[in-house]
Amino acid sequence: MLYSVDTVLSFALLASLFALGSSRLPGLIKIVGFQGIVVSMVPIFIEHNITSSAVTFYMFTMTIRGIIIPLAIYLLIKKIAIRREVQPIIGYHASLFAGLMLIVASSIINHKLALPATTNSVLLMPTAITILVTGMFILMARRNAIAMVLGYLMMENGIYLVGTTFSMGTHHIVEFGILLDVLAGVMIMAIMLENMKQKFDDVDTAFLSELKE
Amino acid sequence: MVKTLIILPFIAGIIAFFIPKKAGRKLLVAIGLIHLIASILLWVERPTPPFPDYFAITPEGLLSLLVISLLFFLISIYSQGYLKAEEQHLLSDHENLISNTGIETIKAEKIFIGSILIFLSTMTMVTLSDHIMVMWIAIEATTLASAPLIYFHRTAASLEATWKYVIICSVGIAMALLGSIFIAIAMDVGQVNAPVSFSALTSVAKHLDPIWLKTGFVFILVGYGTKMGLAPMHTWLPDAHSEAPSPASALLSGVLLNCAYLGIFKTNKIMHEAGLGDFSGNILMTFGLISIIAAATFILKQTEYKRLLAYSSIENMGIIAFGTGIGGMGVYGALLCLIHHSLIKSSLFLTSGNMLLGYGTKLIKETGNMVKLMPKSFVAFFAGFAGIAGFPPFGIFIGEFFIIMAAFRSGHFVAAGIFILTLCIIFAGFSNQMMKISFGPSDHDNDTANFSKIQMDKIRSYRVDIHNKIDIGKISTDKKHMEQKLSMILPQYLLLLTSIILCFWMPDSLYQTIMNAVASMGGLK
Amino acid sequence: MIESLLLWVIGIITAPFFSAVILKVKAFFGGKKGPPIFINYYTLMKLLQKGSVYSTSTTFIFKLGPVISLGAALTALMFLPIFGHRPIFSFEGDIIFVLYLLGLGRFFTIAAAMDTASPFEGMGAAREAFFPIICEATMFMILILFYKLTGHLSLVNYFEGSHPVYLWDMAGTSMVFIVIALFIVLLTENSRVPVDDPATHLELTMIHEVMVLDHSGPDLAFIELGSFTKLFFYSTMISSLILPFQREGIFSPYSLLLGFLAIIVVYGCVGIMESIVARYKMDKVQKFILTSFALAFFATVITMEFIK
Repeated sequence: MLYSVDTVLSFALLASLFALGSSRLPGLIKIVGFQGIVVSMVPIFIEHNITSSAVTFYMFTMTIRGIIIPLAIYLLIKKIAIRREVQPIIGYHASLFAGLMLIVASSIINHKLALPATTNSVLLMPTAITILVTGMFILMARRNAIAMVLGYLMMENGIYLVGTTFSMGTHHIVEFGILLDVLAGVMIMAIMLENMKQKFDDVDTAFLSELKE
Repeated sequence: MVKTLIILPFIAGIIAFFIPKKAGRKLLVAIGLIHLIASILLWVERPTPPFPDYFAITPEGLLSLLVISLLFFLISIYSQGYLKAEEQHLLSDHENLISNTGIETIKAEKIFIGSILIFLSTMTMVTLSDHIMVMWIAIEATTLASAPLIYFHRTAASLEATWKYVIICSVGIAMALLGSIFIAIAMDVGQVNAPVSFSALTSVAKHLDPIWLKTGFVFILVGYGTKMGLAPMHTWLPDAHSEAPSPASALLSGVLLNCAYLGIFKTNKIMHEAGLGDFSGNILMTFGLISIIAAATFILKQTEYKRLLAYSSIENMGIIAFGTGIGGMGVYGALLCLIHHSLIKSSLFLTSGNMLLGYGTKLIKETGNMVKLMPKSFVAFFAGFAGIAGFPPFGIFIGEFFIIMAAFRSGHFVAAGIFILTLCIIFAGFSNQMMKISFGPSDHDNDTANFSKIQMDKIRSYRVDIHNKIDIGKISTDKKHMEQKLSMILPQYLLLLTSIILCFWMPDSLYQTIMNAVASMGGLK
Repeated sequence: MIESLLLWVIGIITAPFFSAVILKVKAFFGGKKGPPIFINYYTLMKLLQKGSVYSTSTTFIFKLGPVISLGAALTALMFLPIFGHRPIFSFEGDIIFVLYLLGLGRFFTIAAAMDTASPFEGMGAAREAFFPIICEATMFMILILFYKLTGHLSLVNYFEGSHPVYLWDMAGTSMVFIVIALFIVLLTENSRVPVDDPATHLELTMIHEVMVLDHSGPDLAFIELGSFTKLFFYSTMISSLILPFQREGIFSPYSLLLGFLAIIVVYGCVGIMESIVARYKMDKVQKFILTSFALAFFATVITMEFIK
């Protein structure tokens, strides 16, 4: 009934709730980093026979998702010393409420899905969906560009979690490629954030409204 | 061979970040040429690629690869002249010198050359990848590699365009990753034991779990559809294509969209094999029609010619998606459109680079009388317009004709009706704008006569001055002078010529390749 | 029965002692010696020996407030299994009765505060009325969860016996969230930091303390004892949740000690909380309390997943 992985997952789920309610960037970064670590730990609990190469890979994932990327964004904030609010378009209470509804919705969806029998967890799919949609929500409902990047990261965390549902086999090379893409993407976004700061003296995406029909 | 195609441009790209820009430009052409030759050799030899789980040589991939190679080579030639002219143009601007933007742009050029080479490498990887996830990795990598290209001008607008491009495409493509994972889950649920590659999945498609497969397809379509510029996920496309420098726009529009389409095409193949062709076809047709209609509304009252071309790309992608959705002969038409759109649209975007340098503006109302001011560019531009709008001798016409025929044959009368009507509207809107640009009155009319000599003198004197950084005021580049450069006009002509030749004489191997690609989606009935 | 009564009396008598633990913890964190551990008894004695002063503008409601709030708290405690032992009364649905009994006590405190017609007390009353509303949502969310787990709506079924609630076996993590949520409810209901600062000296920032400004003598003693008991009530509830293991033989010294220790842990946490967290701004308080609701809701949803 109770799988050890679910205990871990519920913390990842809780982190996405906190992310919706958090108003400050440093807090949000910590939450996303924490979630990254938790999410990359999940396969260790799921897989039955763990090889040493797999463990190395998980450690690597954890380092990139949980430490390197959040740290890079944190240093970026320090460097360009921008305002620390996430500048919400949808308020925190409404976001939080949406998050709760989302958890309910994703667990309902989960019951409608026919999942492969290999997964030994009840929370995996709902957590993955919730994290994914929460990431999208933050991406859309926050004007601050850094918060948007963090939302994107959260989305990737969710997708990674969905990816663990199918039997892993020898996908590590591929997963590693995906990870590299995410890392490179965040780095490019970070460079653009720096440029944005230089151009507008802020990272509020409301400034990006020159191009329209 | 396969390894070389992917790795060589990548290494060259990294080298280009560090070498002087003049050498970089030479490197660009050299790599373009090598890549083209290698692609043709690949076409002829068809070797087995290394890591057969991850890479494969497929007909549709080869087709795209050849288009990419050809386009890249011609665009690299064009870039020689364009980058030089751009540099002069920017340095001649008084404000640019003060604000150091010009100097920044020169720095940007190294990044431009490096990124465009890496971009080539990633696109090659897309065409050759067979594993679903590798495909995703490659397509996401194209986004990342092409982002610096759009940010070439270092202006606020280009920053905005790049930001939108990176964020929207990354999020969109993340959906595609989700879709790819769903397809992998479909394998697990259906208890299929095969590599997660398109070719392997196509052969076992019948055993996959249909619900997960459908979900996966929808997500992949939304994801790669974002990259391909299907409405309503197209919002990044006009911005990115209009803000990018013209060689980059030509590459983005000409081949990047094809790469995204390749992902959809391959997934659609699996759907057809699994017997879900109707499901995927209807969705594709819907997205296609929405894109065409959206493009029509924006083309009618467009004020910038580069955005006009961008919306035309959305329209063509809509046509291609529509054709693919119909299946059978429609797919054949779609692939024809795909090839010809690449050739013609990149030619148009390159010409738009000449116009931008000549007129110094992107607004249609400030252009005009192109037939007199820039006759050589005009020929390329007008011929390109005729091709893209679907005039009979060009391939787009043939492609659209096949699609319409297939639509009527398969009984999609309403869809075909909307399709034809919208194409007519687009044609009207497009030609209206085109007439304004080509024959309309221009502010520049009176300076044609005494223009050249004065400007030439100015430019000469300015070249001396640039070393002393003395302010010499604004100089607009001489339009005709710019056209003297063969490298800035020849590629367009070659691209259009290729397109025309392909209409009348298609090499047998090319035809076979297209037919092989089509075969899995019903073939020609 | 006699044991239940005995425990009830012990609970009431020890409640002021436990409250002093908070003061001691705060003093420890502040590097001070702090008041004697029996300070609350001294205060109560002192207050009981004094006479009450009533403003001429007040009515009998003002006198009713302290009595009823104390009565409500004492009655509520009769329903709570202390250390897992059967309480004095119990019936199906008593948890709702108890919650509203405490609500009744709060109502009369508020009414008494309004009766003085002092603007400060009116302000405190408004806040006191507002914040527990959100707590109520949390409590009912927790009740839904407990009902799902046990099929009953009575405190006996949750906290009596060796296994208080079967949650720890079924969904450990959601239990953690429930405990945190309950802890936040405890802080709110009993006006502790960060919702309210009982030790503040500025009326503008007070919630609970400002409402009892006009009470004196035995009335104040009743209010104090009532709030000690209420705090004891919630702390016992949480301590039964965090002490999930076997507790056979209620009156063995070992199990009594363990129970007391668990309660002291809860009080200690309150003290630590008060030492390390500053009082929130009024507009942040709702968010803090809403967190408890979110946690409870969250725990309920994921537990539904588990028990399916």
